Amino acid sequence: MADTSHASSVQKAPFIALAKPFSPEDEVALREALKRCSPSTFEAAIQFRKTGNPEHLPAVVIGVVERYVEPELRVKLKDAADDLRMIEDLGIDSLTMMEIVILVEDVLQMTINNEELRNLRTVGDVKAFIDCKVRGLPPPKPTKFLPIEHIASVMPIQPPFLFINEASVSSLGASGKYKISGQEFFLQGHFKDNPVMPASIMLEALGQLAVLYLLEGLVPEPGKAVSPNMIFFTGCEGVRAHRICKPGDILSLSIKPKRQKMPLATFEGMIRVGQEKAVIAEEITLTFGFVDAVVAPVENQATEGAQLSASSINPPLHAAVISS
Amino acid sequence: MPRAFITGLGFITSIGNDSTVVEQSLRNLKHGFELYPAFDKPDIPCKVMGTVKGFFTDSADQEDWTYPKGYAFKRELMRTMAPHGLYAHCALTQAITDAKLTDLDVSNLNTGLYTSSGGSPMLTNYHHGRVEALGVMRCSPFGIVASIVGTLNFNLVAAFKIQGSSCGFSSACASSAHALGFAYDEITLGRQKRMFVVGAEDGNKDAILPFAGMRTLSLQTDPNIASRPFDGARDGFVGTGGATVLVIESEDEVIRRGVTPYCEVLGWGQASDGYNVAISHPEGAGLQVAMKHALHASKINPDQVDYINAHATSTLIGDISEVKAIKAVFPQASTKPWVSSTKALTGHGLSLAGAMESAFSALAIKKGFTPGSAHISKVDQACEGINILQKTEPVAPRIVMKNASGFGGANVSVIFKQV
Repeated sequence: MADTSHASSVQKAPFIALAKPFSPEDEVALREALKRCSPSTFEAAIQFRKTGNPEHLPAVVIGVVERYVEPELRVKLKDAADDLRMIEDLGIDSLTMMEIVILVEDVLQMTINNEELRNLRTVGDVKAFIDCKVRGLPPPKPTKFLPIEHIASVMPIQPPFLFINEASVSSLGASGKYKISGQEFFLQGHFKDNPVMPASIMLEALGQLAVLYLLEGLVPEPGKAVSPNMIFFTGCEGVRAHRICKPGDILSLSIKPKRQKMPLATFEGMIRVGQEKAVIAEEITLTFGFVDAVVAPVENQATEGAQLSASSINPPLHAAVISS
Repeated sequence: MPRAFITGLGFITSIGNDSTVVEQSLRNLKHGFELYPAFDKPDIPCKVMGTVKGFFTDSADQEDWTYPKGYAFKRELMRTMAPHGLYAHCALTQAITDAKLTDLDVSNLNTGLYTSSGGSPMLTNYHHGRVEALGVMRCSPFGIVASIVGTLNFNLVAAFKIQGSSCGFSSACASSAHALGFAYDEITLGRQKRMFVVGAEDGNKDAILPFAGMRTLSLQTDPNIASRPFDGARDGFVGTGGATVLVIESEDEVIRRGVTPYCEVLGWGQASDGYNVAISHPEGAGLQVAMKHALHASKINPDQVDYINAHATSTLIGDISEVKAIKAVFPQASTKPWVSSTKALTGHGLSLAGAMESAFSALAIKKGFTPGSAHISKVDQACEGINILQKTEPVAPRIVMKNASGFGGANVSVIFKQV
């Protein structure tokens, strides 16, 4: 089993061959195209166009996104977390998304089609997508947003020991949120008259997010699926707690795969509360195993899908007729 | 019969960007013409334009645009606008304030918006140029909604959350008079309680210069005499752009809100020449019928009309057609009504003209003056027999007729009455 992580295979890909040398006319056009972006965006773009080195891409992409975000929301992009959502967090609608794409296409000299566009929901998605595109790789699996019902239905861990309220998972990693409600049973004793989220539980929450990634984000071997009953903790390294977390705090959890070699998967993890760092784990390692995937008959799936969408469309239509 | 009243006005015009300045310009016969820098080329024969001041919109990139203090536009709002969309947005903001309308008065099922503009040739050219040069997938997703005829209603309806009737009118220089007429119908038929009537044009090089190809623009290089309707030496019209908005409301709404209208819209009429695609009928046949229809609909006699704000654009043929039509409809034309063309001051606003000049008429009725026809040194012999008012009189006309004629021989006449 070669490594299954998209991220690690990406780093081994060579720079793309530049189509043609970067001319002074190109530079003039590039400067014009990026005239409303920060100087660092232009610098990154010019470096990319001259060298083809994808290291410059994140700065270009963030710079282009920033240019289309309302000034008061731009601060969110300062230490741009990859889970920042384009629509919900940055107020970018589908038309603005198209403006961003057109400028990126122009600046990076690439073509992006509409289907590809639909899956780009977070800043991380956009960065990863552009990165793959430039390297000539297939685009990463789109980010899936998982509500608590979905999380509880797939996870081997269940309440009251499940510490993820919502999550989004892609092949590049996972992020999630957990609100410390104050009702957690262990807070009665940790500490006396002073409820503080135990650091061990926060590490557990990161571990749980890594489990969710293995179940929902990992691209398994063909015909195989990760078994929820074969995932266990093996070790962690470099764990540091930076902030006391109390009831009312919303933990923003994120994990990224670092290495995967059957049966081990190693992640880096971080918890933030707002913009503040709470916990860092340099490495969390889990063991996991594959079982044969249950193959659903394709035809049935399609029919079921059609019925589902029909039934989900009908009620609003009906409602609209009544209300008018 | 239900009645309709004008309760608010907004102006972005070559002679002023609010009603106070516009009134002063009309009273003092101060024109809005300049030598237009974009015409300053040897191969461009016309030189003068009725320019909109305080804005910069001569760029296909909306983020380059500037506008007067007091207005605020987010990028998101401007990115789908043509220059005349920006002007109209400002004028509509003024009209809403002027009519003392709340947000709720503006956005409801009983308030609609009719527009007229010729679209944005500048943005059409720009976006088509990009399609050719870069391929269609590198084009702005907003190229269409910012440039085609209709851009004005798309933008205003969305920006002001209009929920009632909306559409655009396209009958060239009669467009916004048509919009006003049908807005009146919308109210008197009880379909809407309130209508915004918007006329607007880019009035820039791309919008105006093609008329030079028709040989209809004045080639005068002196801004002080370039536009002179009814004058013997007139040699064509001077183009202009900008925007004007009128708020038309039902009697019930006027009473409910306790506002004092500018005037009442009494009625309107229209008729077509059925004659030529671009030349008006030599006897003004369609315009005669339009005026008669308007008088009939308004239940008034010709002798009750105090003032006609003429369509007269300062072209050789058009002005004479209108004079003949007026003489045919008004038996005492040599003494009454007063006739003037305010295009001598503003220039010809094309789709904007009908709304702009109707708003001038409403302003004149309320503020107590009758605007004169400027820049006449000697009345054309062919224009004799009507009472052309050459200086503004400090007298409020009680009943005003506004004429508008467009390509294809479309003619509209609207009548306003002092309240």
